[in-house]
Amino acid sequence: MRRAFLAITGLAASTTALVVLKGSPGTSQVAQEVPAGQPVSPTPAGSAPPAAESPAPGATPTGVAGSPRPSRSATKAPASRPTTKAPAAPRTTTSKPPQPTTRRVTGPIVENEYGNVQVQIVLSGNRIVEALTLELPSGPGETERHSDDVRRAYNGTSGQVVRNQSADLDTVSGATETSASYEQSLRAAIEQAR
Amino acid sequence: MTYQHTHAAGRRTGTSSRPGGRSAAPVPPQVPARRGPGGRRLLAALLVVGLLASVLPWWLDTPAGSLRSTAATLTAAGRISGLVAGYLLLVQVLMMSRLPVLERWIGGEQLARWHRDVGATLLVAVLAHLSLILLGYAGLRDHSVLTEAGVLLRDYEDMLGAFLATGIMVLVGFTSVRAIRTALPYELWHVLHLSSYLVLLLGFGHQFSNGAQLFQPGPVRTGWIAMYVLVVAALGWGRVVVPLRFNLRHRLRVADVVAESPDTISIYLTGARLDRLALLGGQFFRWRFLTPGCWWQSHPFSVSAAANGRWLRLTVKVVGAHTADLRDLDPGTRVWAEGPSGTFTAAHRTRERALLIAGGSGITPIRAMLEELPPGAALIYRARTPADVLLGRELDWLAQARNTDIWYVIGSRDDPGPRQVMSPDGLRQLVPDLTARDVYLCGPPGLVEQSVRALRRAGVPRRQIHLATFEL
Repeated sequence: MRRAFLAITGLAASTTALVVLKGSPGTSQVAQEVPAGQPVSPTPAGSAPPAAESPAPGATPTGVAGSPRPSRSATKAPASRPTTKAPAAPRTTTSKPPQPTTRRVTGPIVENEYGNVQVQIVLSGNRIVEALTLELPSGPGETERHSDDVRRAYNGTSGQVVRNQSADLDTVSGATETSASYEQSLRAAIEQAR
Repeated sequence: MTYQHTHAAGRRTGTSSRPGGRSAAPVPPQVPARRGPGGRRLLAALLVVGLLASVLPWWLDTPAGSLRSTAATLTAAGRISGLVAGYLLLVQVLMMSRLPVLERWIGGEQLARWHRDVGATLLVAVLAHLSLILLGYAGLRDHSVLTEAGVLLRDYEDMLGAFLATGIMVLVGFTSVRAIRTALPYELWHVLHLSSYLVLLLGFGHQFSNGAQLFQPGPVRTGWIAMYVLVVAALGWGRVVVPLRFNLRHRLRVADVVAESPDTISIYLTGARLDRLALLGGQFFRWRFLTPGCWWQSHPFSVSAAANGRWLRLTVKVVGAHTADLRDLDPGTRVWAEGPSGTFTAAHRTRERALLIAGGSGITPIRAMLEELPPGAALIYRARTPADVLLGRELDWLAQARNTDIWYVIGSRDDPGPRQVMSPDGLRQLVPDLTARDVYLCGPPGLVEQSVRALRRAGVPRRQIHLATFEL
């Protein structure tokens, strides 16, 4: 039995150590505070052809620009998983005069423990006409359901984002973290757009 | 349950084993070659590497600094303990798969001890997983823990099975606490313990439908499923294929049942191709006697004579309903045996000389082993009364044939004689080169514990002490 006690103590200690190691604020914490300007689609980064005027949401998410977004693959090294990319020089549409045509602005990827959230808004002038999510946590059981709840509540041409025209949203019950991440990405997108 | 007269033991009136108890082998048994600890260490290292590998997916999946809230931290700890528990459950089953490789390299007794220790760890890990996940999820959603438990049961797939599996595991763990286990009839305990296979089945689903690291198709999920497949294959191989092959090959039958003492019987078995049976003295089989009352029970008993190519013998103390039934076995009864297993053998010695300490019916594996140990061994035989000395004539013969010193230490544990002998000084006096010998112990738990303590104090290194406690 003495070995069992040792094993239990050892496992408890190493679990605590693992959690503490992961929990210690890394660079990502800082990065997330910065409302990072993710390049918006009308001006993709140099390498991409300028023809990509309005990429289909989901099909070509903004990952084209900057460094490729890491996939949620389990084999990925933790160090190479930047939570939020903060490009040095945000290429935003603010440099351009507002156009009467619709434009798309994409918020940064905000990561929480369920996965990534990335919001894209479609603007007509300064008015948000549509909100969509390029990424939401997908996961087992409730995670998926809560992502659906969030999507239903905020997205679309008549969702809360369009109705409120701001990043002040009602938290979707049960999906506090995802709601918060959504707001964060949305807020950054709106700031970029103005 | 116990006998009044020796003659009543067994239905045959014959008493005690063959005259002189001489080895029945056509040639004297060879001293088997030593088996080093390399195999055991390698397997143990593999198991530890597996444990690390099973937590690795969590580490790679979790971004640094992402555990900002208490709830998130609790959930993460819950995930780790879940992965650990999932892995340990597989290890538990694997260790009981009777896979020949494991039996040979680690040995049944050692596996049973690991199984007990890993079992306790597993139970704690599962309970930690359950409570941490509950607390974590409840915290994330601002629910009470009870509400969250309801949500988990209602809204998550396969969680009902997982909760049931936890219940079974708690029951199995609880009944395995030594004090409770000894209070239960062995058969009931065994059936309860076998229900832990249900844990494997019921706990399977929720890992893949809800496990954060396992729900997505990918190498981790595939690897985890592969581990399950391997363990189930090991079970099938070790528990079905190997015994089937053994029994079809050797077709054991009861040849005779004789009384050794008022409450001890010997069962002689014959069969086919026994000359090709790879059996070492001190090993045990799990025996199933195919009679209407006994076929459904399997019990481990040591073989009490070295392999001789002609017959096998087990010597059994009548202590319960099952062993009482064994007295009435008819010659010709078929016997289903699983084994041989165990590392309580001359092959696992680390020195060329040995000291053997036997208590009561614990003499049986030691009697078999004595035939195979290098000459010059010493035996201390503890018995309560002279009548409790078993296989005495065979021991006398072995004392001569194998140049063995034998001391019979008769009396109750608290008598001054036995107390003096079983103390560190007493042992050193009897066997001055004690620390240069392997010590083999078999007997009642009290005697074994006391002896181990005395031996350790007398300076015998732990790895030279061999125990024959197969607690199953």
